[in-house]
Amino acid sequence: MFNAELTKHLAELSKIEFTEEELQKMTDDMTDIIAIMDKVCEFDTSKPPYALDAVDYNDLRADEHADSYPTDKITSNAKNVKNNSFVVPKVV
Amino acid sequence: MALKEIRDMLDKKEISVVELTEAYLDKINKRDKKINSYITVCQENALEDAKKAQDRINAGLSDAFTGIPISVKDNICTLGVKTTCASRMLEDFIPPYDATVMEKLKKSGIVMLGKTNMDEFAMGGSSQTSYFGGVKNPYDTDRVTGGSSGGAAASVAAGLCAAALGSDTGGSVRQPASFCGVTGLKPTYGAVSRWGLIAFASSLDQIGVIAKSAEDTGYLLNGIYGYDKNDATSSKKSEGDYTSLVGSNITGLKVGVPKEFFGDGLNDEVKAAVLNAVEYYKKLGCEIVDVSLPGLEYAVSAYYLISSAEAASNLSRFDGIKYGLRSGLGEDYSDLIKNSRREGFGNEVKRRIMLGNYALCSGYYDAYYRNATRIRTQLRNEYKEIFEKCDVMLTPTAPTTAYKIGEQENDPVKMYLADIYTVTVNIAGLPAISTTCGYDSNGMPIGMSLIGKSFDEKTLIAVCDRFERDFDRKEAAL
Repeated sequence: MFNAELTKHLAELSKIEFTEEELQKMTDDMTDIIAIMDKVCEFDTSKPPYALDAVDYNDLRADEHADSYPTDKITSNAKNVKNNSFVVPKVV
Repeated sequence: MALKEIRDMLDKKEISVVELTEAYLDKINKRDKKINSYITVCQENALEDAKKAQDRINAGLSDAFTGIPISVKDNICTLGVKTTCASRMLEDFIPPYDATVMEKLKKSGIVMLGKTNMDEFAMGGSSQTSYFGGVKNPYDTDRVTGGSSGGAAASVAAGLCAAALGSDTGGSVRQPASFCGVTGLKPTYGAVSRWGLIAFASSLDQIGVIAKSAEDTGYLLNGIYGYDKNDATSSKKSEGDYTSLVGSNITGLKVGVPKEFFGDGLNDEVKAAVLNAVEYYKKLGCEIVDVSLPGLEYAVSAYYLISSAEAASNLSRFDGIKYGLRSGLGEDYSDLIKNSRREGFGNEVKRRIMLGNYALCSGYYDAYYRNATRIRTQLRNEYKEIFEKCDVMLTPTAPTTAYKIGEQENDPVKMYLADIYTVTVNIAGLPAISTTCGYDSNGMPIGMSLIGKSFDEKTLIAVCDRFERDFDRKEAAL
């Protein structure tokens, strides 16, 4: 059963801030959405083997040394850059 | 006008690339206000590209795409040109590199007219969740275009480009093509490099093509397909020359019709038009084969669980620090990220991330994500069986035609269920093409889809082209 506690837990995992009002709306939406997702729980799990990853990696390239993008290009879209570095709030 | 006709006119110098580009830009400036199909119009860059293309033609160095003006969906990275994914999160993002598809087309001398509108991060089927406002259908501006490549489909339908690049994760090329009365091709997974396509669900995403005809989709696919060392999932199996079977005899071809696609929930007018197309192929001498995809009933839930789980992971890169919106709120590192994502993402994107983390989190993983992957295997096996009995499969593209703006796009459950006919193609990694097969009583286009075997786009394009040659297509009266 979906509830506000679970929404808060998922919001934490999703790293998204919600107001109380938004959390309530998200709980309502998710309750409706999970109701249709429950269909997968009816699937007969005794069926033969399955692949968790459906992608075929047949054509992997060799590991080769190559130049990186220049730092100024890498940081060009960041909002706070100093000395060629991303600036973040103090962590420790 | 067909792409090869444009090529011919440019090479014969009946029109210059600059004149052609100016004509499209002029149309965009006059008409796009009505439909909002472009987020960014590359007025200056397009004219510069046009001049270079003309120099190339004058020097006798013309290539397949030299001077052809196209639109590009705004989730495909374009060097130096804003690529927003229709999100506030990437409102100012300017990629430092080109997607592989753009690199290829630029080498050939393409002219990029602009970047097209879409559902935010390609998550939606209406093109109404864009941060830059919704897209309107050129056939009736009170109606949606479908999505997520709604801007791409509308730009083609309204004559605001010669063809368009879109992307298709669960139907995002085919369904808007259906709603806007144009042709949309989703290639086999791995046929086209995803390098530079902003990732939504990596095991399902595929860059596709929208144009006025099946032949044109093949023409453009010829310019973008192929293995790319930057995309480990791209394949060497594609052979190219996608229009080589156009015009060939399709008598005796086996067309599969799956009964599950014609049941409850399918609009009567859509059903009648698609069954007419079945009759058309029968009269041509094709063999109609009854086939079955019993796993269809699980497809929507499996698709949403897998795609959202992948989206939750892919979109974790948007932290407000390296690129994208950075919130002014939040004292510490974690708060900065949470507030940046709160301000940067729209509601549908937040719902998908939440759903993805639900499917992956402890206690729910086995029941949801693992079962969804079991269903994926089941659907792949069912398709394998189907293609032992037929060459292509014919289905409706969507249960309805384009609906009125505001009618259902605010109800996520209704929106998700409407993807029923398109998602299995992505789950199974197959190619599919949607084209117009009729018009409903409101004059809105009805789409049918042809689904094919892996890497057999050639057959799909030829079979679709055959129908289009005898179909009376109506232009949008914008």
